[in-house]
Amino acid sequence: MDFTQHQLGPGVRLYLCETDKFKTLTCKAFIQQDLKAREAASTALVPLLLRRGSQRFPTTRDIARELEELYAADFGSDVLKIGERQILEFHFRMVDPALLPKGEELLRRGLEAFWEIASRPHGNGRFFEPYFEQEKEILLQELEGLVNDKRAYALVRCTALMCGEEPFGIYKYGDPETVRSLANQEVYDHYRKLLNDYPLDIFVVGSRTEQAAEALAGLVQGREAQVVLNAPQRVEAGEPRYFEEAMDVQQAVLVMGYRTQITYPDEDYYALLVANGILGGFAHSKLFINVRERASLAYYVGSSIEGSKGLLTISAGISGDDQAQAVEIIQEQVRDMQEGRISDQELEQTKRGLISSMNSMNDSASALIDRNLIGVVHDELRTIAGVVEAISAVTLEGVVRAMEKVQLDTTYILRSSSQKGAGHGTD
Amino acid sequence: MEQIKIPGGETVFQERLDNGLAVMVLPRKQFLRTYGVLSVNYGSLDSKFKIPGEGVVEVPPGIAHFLEHKLFEEEEGSVFERFASWGGSVNAFTSYTQTSYLFTTVEHARESLAYLLEFVNAPHLTEENVEKEKGIIEQELQMYADHPDHRIHSALMENLYHEHPVRLDIGGTVESVRSITVAELQRCYDIFYQPGNMALVVVGDLDPYETCELVRSSYPQRQGAGFSAQRIDPQEPNSIVQPWAETQLPISRPRYMLGFKHDPRWRGQELLRTQIAMSLGLKLIFGRSSRAYAQLYEAKLVDDSFYASFRALPRVAYSVFSSETDQPEALHERLAGIINELKGGGVEAGEVERLKKQFYGMFLGSLDSFEYTANRITAQYFEGTPYHRYLEVLGEVTTEDVQGALGDLLDWERSSVSILRPVNAHG
Repeated sequence: MDFTQHQLGPGVRLYLCETDKFKTLTCKAFIQQDLKAREAASTALVPLLLRRGSQRFPTTRDIARELEELYAADFGSDVLKIGERQILEFHFRMVDPALLPKGEELLRRGLEAFWEIASRPHGNGRFFEPYFEQEKEILLQELEGLVNDKRAYALVRCTALMCGEEPFGIYKYGDPETVRSLANQEVYDHYRKLLNDYPLDIFVVGSRTEQAAEALAGLVQGREAQVVLNAPQRVEAGEPRYFEEAMDVQQAVLVMGYRTQITYPDEDYYALLVANGILGGFAHSKLFINVRERASLAYYVGSSIEGSKGLLTISAGISGDDQAQAVEIIQEQVRDMQEGRISDQELEQTKRGLISSMNSMNDSASALIDRNLIGVVHDELRTIAGVVEAISAVTLEGVVRAMEKVQLDTTYILRSSSQKGAGHGTD
Repeated sequence: MEQIKIPGGETVFQERLDNGLAVMVLPRKQFLRTYGVLSVNYGSLDSKFKIPGEGVVEVPPGIAHFLEHKLFEEEEGSVFERFASWGGSVNAFTSYTQTSYLFTTVEHARESLAYLLEFVNAPHLTEENVEKEKGIIEQELQMYADHPDHRIHSALMENLYHEHPVRLDIGGTVESVRSITVAELQRCYDIFYQPGNMALVVVGDLDPYETCELVRSSYPQRQGAGFSAQRIDPQEPNSIVQPWAETQLPISRPRYMLGFKHDPRWRGQELLRTQIAMSLGLKLIFGRSSRAYAQLYEAKLVDDSFYASFRALPRVAYSVFSSETDQPEALHERLAGIINELKGGGVEAGEVERLKKQFYGMFLGSLDSFEYTANRITAQYFEGTPYHRYLEVLGEVTTEDVQGALGDLLDWERSSVSILRPVNAHG
């Protein structure tokens, strides 16, 4: 299923996918900006502030009551990072109006609520001060709370260490020191600029997209200019670096960060996608088979790529005692691929798996929208059929060529300082 | 096949085969993906049972989960690769009461379905492969040991239950897993993996009659006398073990969890009705539209992580409230006040009616998730809750029902608190 594209004004694009397949209508809006420390922290506060209240719905409670009246309509906002862009996302979902009493009316009311909450926060020329103060604290807690999920924490730490000198090293929610220094007016002014001056892309999937388009066009009119954004920085891998962090954990988390030099606009992008699949994207992948099934070292182990910046990341939950062995097996898998030790079966299964997951996106409104984000960032949307074709065309030579560009940059491990010889795994 | 209409205009086709297997098919037009899940009415709670003519058998904790891992072992080739060769994927999970094996695929749905039935019915347990799996499961348990959500819940269950196996982790302990033998695994397999104790749900754009015929003709013939085990739950005292317990973990701030232990006395429609009434009641406390949430949030006693849930299975039932908080004691006091006020007649009809609209919409929206819908259909079959009547029952639930459920079930005599406190993360 594909989207039709409509230009609503300078820097505002609307994409519609008309279908009666789903029981819901889904709408997402994305505003993107270059990733910078101060703006990142500022923007990360916005979703927290928006959910506190708007002009018409001044408290969280008022917002929630309106959404409940709309039969479980759902408004959400978050901040994402794709390459060296930070994206402010608003999403809205409600039951397909065709399934509701007075559906048409509810659809209009729902979209009005959506844009009201997203664009008219409670306050006068700035955010309501008590909300601002409290949400700043909440964001700080969120940043400190990253450590609570050891796997996510290890991935973020490895990226920060690896790209410390590049915009990509900035965490999507900013850093505590910058957040502490933010003032209400500054955050509000930046938020207004984001709403008015930065590229805005809106996607709608559902059965009443024409009415939705009409309502949205009225809501977003009046935007003025369009800021021009930068392309991500490309960096060569230097000498491999190693970092160890000690924490009182049961399980060690190993993360290995590679530079790929291949991004979405590049010819070898889909070859890299297939390469990552063969290496660690599936349960039939080399990492899963060799680290988990053959050596019994891990429960989870896998790899993923960041296709806008050009990174490949491998992570595994292991016993700290097995670190050397795990690293050795992982590097052997990467080397095997670089030297072409890939069976036809591995290649074919992986291509089939990727094609299948591409096609499966037709079955989820959210996936249909989210898959376009990287295209939005690179200003080149691709259809599912086009991607399937590109994956089908990937050859063994292409995979090897892509893997040859992949270079280890940073190895990071989060582990207990007393792991060796203590507690588990010694017998 | 029996046709069961479910809300949202869909129909579940159901048939019980001669061998006892329940087959349920939910056709969904236009979807590309097929999702199939074969479930065994056997989970971590089933560690003690009576076999006619043999007497009472007790097996080590974690055995159902261990079996789930091992059924992926084949004499030749790998289950993962087989599904991958069709572009699909396969997975499994174990809960307190069920073990489920599932696949999702866009192409070769028939082959995938037939192979799901085949591999679950062909255990291949050897000394060697059982020993090897212990390392993998150990890493899985260690991963959970570092998850705060998992740890606080486990600790709460230990506070609430003296004897009932719900107090143990689904995966067992490192020690119990190490003690598990091939003979024990084989025995549990033979007892519980009987078609009469299993159910298959398939969702996708497919013909229900053809699908059922395929299952009938390809379901492996199995030796065995059918399912005759009687599950034995220990005598669980009414009282709790201890009212308050604290654990330390390397996390950023404390977490609070309050639990209430209930008698699992409901069956069928009564169970569904209680689930709805209680879920509505809890929303009056943790829902974003509630006065209670606004008070707690503004007092900085809870954050966005605050939630409550009611879990009722045929053999165990409890409610929990949880949040991250800097002040667990103060939160407990305020929350207790809020709960008592609601129990004392504070449930308002207007609030309940609005929440019912939300539940109505959430139910329809959930039909877009194959996984969620299939799980509910499976649970309905095993537990006898008439899921297809959800909206009807929701319509019938009254303010008095909600008031009654809260008053009846939130019994302080049978409650306990579990706290996680941060220990210096970097040690």
